[in-house]
Amino acid sequence: MSLTKQLWIAIAMVTLLSLGGSLVVSTLSARQYLQQELAIKNMDNATSLALSLSQLDKDPVTIELQIASQFDAGHYQLIRLVDPTGTLLVERKYAEHNQGSPTWFMRLVPIETRPGLAQVLDGWRQFGTLTVESHSRYAYESLWNATRQLLLWFAGGGLLCGLLGTLVLRYITRPLGSMVEQAEAIGGRRFVTTPEPRTLEFRSVVRAMNTLSERVRTMLADEAQRLEQLRRQTQYDELTGLFSRQQFLNQLDAALSRNDASAGGLLLITRIANLAELNQRLGRTAADRLLATLASRLSAVAEAHPGRECGRLNASDFALLAAGELDATALGEAVNAAFQTALTADLPHIQLLIAVAGYAEGEARGSLLARIDGGLAAAEHDEQHTLQIVANHTDQPLYSHPDEWRKALTHALQGRAIKLAGFPVLGRQGEVLHREAPVRLQLDGHWCSAGRVLPWAARLGLVARIDALVVEAACARLDRHPEITGLAINLSTDALRDAAFRDQLRRTVQAHPTAASRLWIDIQESSALRHQMEFRDLCLTLRPLGCKLGLKHAGRSFSRFAELHDVGLDYIKISPAFIRGIDQSPSNKAFLRGLCTIAHSIGLLAIAEGVGTPAEVAALPALGIDGMTGPGITAEPAALSEHP
Amino acid sequence: MRPFSTRSDLCRSARPVPSPLLRLCAFVVFAALTWFAGANTDFDRMQRLASERFGNQAGDMVGAWRRLIDESRDIPEADQLTRVNHFFNRSIQFDDDIVVWQQQDYWASPLETLGRQAGDCEDFAIAKYVTLRLLGIPKERLRLIYVRARIGGADSPVSQAHMVLGYFATPTDEPLVLDNLIGDIRPAARRPDLFPVFSFNSEGLWVGGAAESSADPTARLSRWRDVLARMRSEGLELTQ
Repeated sequence: MSLTKQLWIAIAMVTLLSLGGSLVVSTLSARQYLQQELAIKNMDNATSLALSLSQLDKDPVTIELQIASQFDAGHYQLIRLVDPTGTLLVERKYAEHNQGSPTWFMRLVPIETRPGLAQVLDGWRQFGTLTVESHSRYAYESLWNATRQLLLWFAGGGLLCGLLGTLVLRYITRPLGSMVEQAEAIGGRRFVTTPEPRTLEFRSVVRAMNTLSERVRTMLADEAQRLEQLRRQTQYDELTGLFSRQQFLNQLDAALSRNDASAGGLLLITRIANLAELNQRLGRTAADRLLATLASRLSAVAEAHPGRECGRLNASDFALLAAGELDATALGEAVNAAFQTALTADLPHIQLLIAVAGYAEGEARGSLLARIDGGLAAAEHDEQHTLQIVANHTDQPLYSHPDEWRKALTHALQGRAIKLAGFPVLGRQGEVLHREAPVRLQLDGHWCSAGRVLPWAARLGLVARIDALVVEAACARLDRHPEITGLAINLSTDALRDAAFRDQLRRTVQAHPTAASRLWIDIQESSALRHQMEFRDLCLTLRPLGCKLGLKHAGRSFSRFAELHDVGLDYIKISPAFIRGIDQSPSNKAFLRGLCTIAHSIGLLAIAEGVGTPAEVAALPALGIDGMTGPGITAEPAALSEHP
Repeated sequence: MRPFSTRSDLCRSARPVPSPLLRLCAFVVFAALTWFAGANTDFDRMQRLASERFGNQAGDMVGAWRRLIDESRDIPEADQLTRVNHFFNRSIQFDDDIVVWQQQDYWASPLETLGRQAGDCEDFAIAKYVTLRLLGIPKERLRLIYVRARIGGADSPVSQAHMVLGYFATPTDEPLVLDNLIGDIRPAARRPDLFPVFSFNSEGLWVGGAAESSADPTARLSRWRDVLARMRSEGLELTQ
């Protein structure tokens, strides 16, 4: 039973008891008073009548007259004169039974009358005993009226009490509502704080909850800081501050395996050909300083555009990864220009070689690096052009012109020619948590994977429409197959930022209530952090409908998790960059363990992406990973590639 | 003796509306008193009270009264009447209420009358009535009677309001008059100096048990009921 109801019942009972008790007490005391009054009246009247009778001549007529006149003129029930031997001399009795109040009331509250007795003298002799009994009718009447009035007043008073009680209750329990909201928010892993109410008991509860939220936030921040430090130590090159070789290669692998709007891109490698000579001429420290300067120029170029990573491959090689970009020449010239500013006149000649190559989704790392190596070799031999643009992969794009892409894409969208793939995400016991469903579009009769189509769709601004179709298809499939545990769809950055799309997404999910709780929505970590307002809005809209929300390619900016923790995520999918080769890298293991701890502390599932080898599969659960997906994860042959 | 006045103060006094709480307290107190007093007349207590309130002589007086009652229990009624009448006429000195009690009109209980050893006609009558009741004479045979007395004989011009005790051997008889004006008991016919006006006794004043009456706040409203209540509080129990 609710607190309000309980309080109400208590108030009602107290009111009832007090008013009812008052009513009973008043009635009884009124009855007592009336009884006494009647008794006194009886006695007095008997005495005075007997006195006057004693003075009279005792002939029967006079006696009878006297008694009769007393009876008729007064309010009597009975007047009786009995002689000393017991014989009845005169009696007058009231025959009518109209009592002036209901019979049930008279039975409930009987008024006992005591008749008055007095002696009548005839000279010295006893003439008789007089019994006088007043009529109790008026007593009953007045008692009944008084009781009725009291009842009415008390009923009115009770109603008033009830009204006041309601108002008071509402005022008192007002802070309860916000308290409950906060508690539910904390239960839903949104550690919010609310202002403390004035009521003492509520205040202490809210204070405790606020303290809890604060502690979680602080703990998250501390943990994140610690982890950041660890990461700095293990993943970065000490001298230059760029990614270490292994880490950069992991990033490269991750980029090569992406199948969203940032699939495909550019890789730039720059080499200082005469490093040994520089070391001799400048000395170790000066050469190191020069390297650091060049590295800082390179990272400045990287920071100019989101999604770029740079690293140090070996003593003389630096690399820049630009996912999702097409213009190799512009990139190369930007880097070249940045380097030139570092090459001051007092320094000896530095032979800088730059080679840029584009890569497509799914390309092997080895072949990409080989191509760039060839470019660097060419640059070394060609004195004029130290900047070499390497030819793209032989795999031809579908269309060479953006307009052709636009035409094909629009055609596909209008015809709703999409289908969803299904890659399993397995939990700790090997059960299927959900299936990742990247989209496939049919362009001119060929089914093309997301990685090939989405970058162009993003450039042409059509990716939000594709996402809308994907959501509908996913909901439809979930409705048709209730046995599917879940489907995960990818939302692009453009879709996230589009308010109309978010609105439509909400309506679509609302239209499929049974599917909503099995819908997992992936959003890129960098997009979520860069567009926090929109992401927050999306979360708060979709969570009440039952959808699960999570970050994809997460882990890079984990120190900023604290900004997202009160939004209420359900899971993070950790980028393959941190999962590759986990079984061989103790420092990465420590990092991953810390990352999982942070995720669990705010109730997120930690899912690993890009799990490839059985060794990785074996190593990951011990670090706290809750789910795995990737080329090394296969479940039972899934009913994939159905037409929606 | 005061001249007859039309005083309406026979029984009337201000009637307070009894509040429930007061009733409750009164009930508790009186019930306790009744309980302590016991169902029977407590002569020891009365003697002690008399000594405390009026002095040792009063205590002796009450003792003598007590002896009178003890000795007179088993003798015929006529003898009882004589003894009681004689005892009181001899022991109690006649005096006005204003002298004895410093009040205009005061009906004293037997204890108080014996304590002061003085009283007026009502006090005599009440004391004799109570004593005879204690000796077991049923109340139907006894009446307190208001009379008009001619002082100095039947032909005297001086009248006075007076009270006597009347004893009716049978309900239809004329009574025997126990009086403090003359020493012996005579039938009413032989008392031409007295003219009866009104008679009463304690009949009809208690219904349903002693405790109820003592708890009734109207019990002290009339002078007669007041003296009856006072007697009870002193320890005198008149059985029905």
